[in-house]
Amino acid sequence: MDGLVSFPDVVSWAVPLFLAAILAELVWIHLSGRGGRYETRDAVTSLIMGAGSVASGIILGFVAWGFFMVLWRITPLDLGLSWPVIVICFILDDLRYYWVHRFGHRIRWVWASHVNHHSSQHYNLTTALRQTWTGTFTFMMVIRAPLILLGFHPAMVLFVGGLNLIYQFWIHTEAIGKMPRWFEAVMNTPSHHRVHHGRNARYLDCNYAGVLIIWDKMFGTFVPEQEDEKVDYGLVHNIGTFNPLRVAFHEWLSIARDMSQRGLTLRERLMYAIAPPGWSHDGSRKASEALKAAHLEQHPEKAGTPGFD
Amino acid sequence: MPLEILGPLVVFGILFVAVLLHLLGYSRRVNLRDEAQARAAWVREFPDTKVLQVAMAGNGRAALVMSSAGAGIVWAFGADTVARRLSPKARLHGDHIALRFPDYGTGQLRIPLPPETVAQWRDLLHEGEQ
Repeated sequence: MDGLVSFPDVVSWAVPLFLAAILAELVWIHLSGRGGRYETRDAVTSLIMGAGSVASGIILGFVAWGFFMVLWRITPLDLGLSWPVIVICFILDDLRYYWVHRFGHRIRWVWASHVNHHSSQHYNLTTALRQTWTGTFTFMMVIRAPLILLGFHPAMVLFVGGLNLIYQFWIHTEAIGKMPRWFEAVMNTPSHHRVHHGRNARYLDCNYAGVLIIWDKMFGTFVPEQEDEKVDYGLVHNIGTFNPLRVAFHEWLSIARDMSQRGLTLRERLMYAIAPPGWSHDGSRKASEALKAAHLEQHPEKAGTPGFD
Repeated sequence: MPLEILGPLVVFGILFVAVLLHLLGYSRRVNLRDEAQARAAWVREFPDTKVLQVAMAGNGRAALVMSSAGAGIVWAFGADTVARRLSPKARLHGDHIALRFPDYGTGQLRIPLPPETVAQWRDLLHEGEQ
């Protein structure tokens, strides 16, 4: 099979759907007085981040595409373009997404790109579009390499990745409580993903799933939404800006500042880039494990409950 | 989708949502009314610290917090709040406080203060420095 295979750019075709759904959610919240919160500058920042993410994909997309096409030339395998192959590719790509997302929360270099998605204190459909501009620089495209080496065409891999992203749009809402039990058991849902956006100690570093929540259950990172602990959205230390440039680049600059401190060993400089967010050479900051431990010191009764087990 | 359609759709879509949100009243800044609200906002950001004293700005925009971790500030940020520790070098400038934070995710902050607040904040910042 040659490299001229093409699949529709589903994310750009979904833009009208995104806008219509945002308007529907906004009208629902305004009329019913429940189901979430909106704030003008927060929502506009999220939407600009979404537009910028699409633009960065257009400008920098050739890097990942070039890498994938090199792999495609190397691999002797070609699974073709049949529907069963697309479905298998979608499921395996969702597993790929789980790990990229997990790395995104556990490796500061990758977190620097992903942090902007968590930088809103709101949780509505515009938050879904608060996407990175700097994903290319994380080099996480290498996690897609096994799929292409296994014989899934690069265009198909990007296509199913787009479908994955579109699925995740609708789960960024407080307007939907819980889905039917069977659905909650298998699929990522608004409830599961609300937890992922929580800054509560209980909810840190969990529910990394894209479409199938089963990956979190398999790898021990699933935490169900607790009725008695409302999700507090945002970052452990919330940012104080609506400026899209600051939102997009603030953590990269923080890494540069931390790595360039005087008197650090080479290892310490490296750790500021690759250790989990919150790591510091002098212990002056707290990563998620330390934040959970500190919370348990104040609330020992929570020990052994979801998120603290 | 062709760029000549996608571009205008995105630009006008964002503008439409922005105008609609503003007309529906979602541009209102949160009003920091009382000490309890300021304390809650501080503890939300720094749960390991104890709040010793709170001085409200008097205009609903901010509160100066003296905590077990030193001086800090809570300010209204859209419909929400943000809190930061203050450097010992933090100073008032006439009728406002102007701060430059080391984190690029906040940058600069300038909050006007009513005259009756200025003296109180100046004293507290001076005490915190001792």
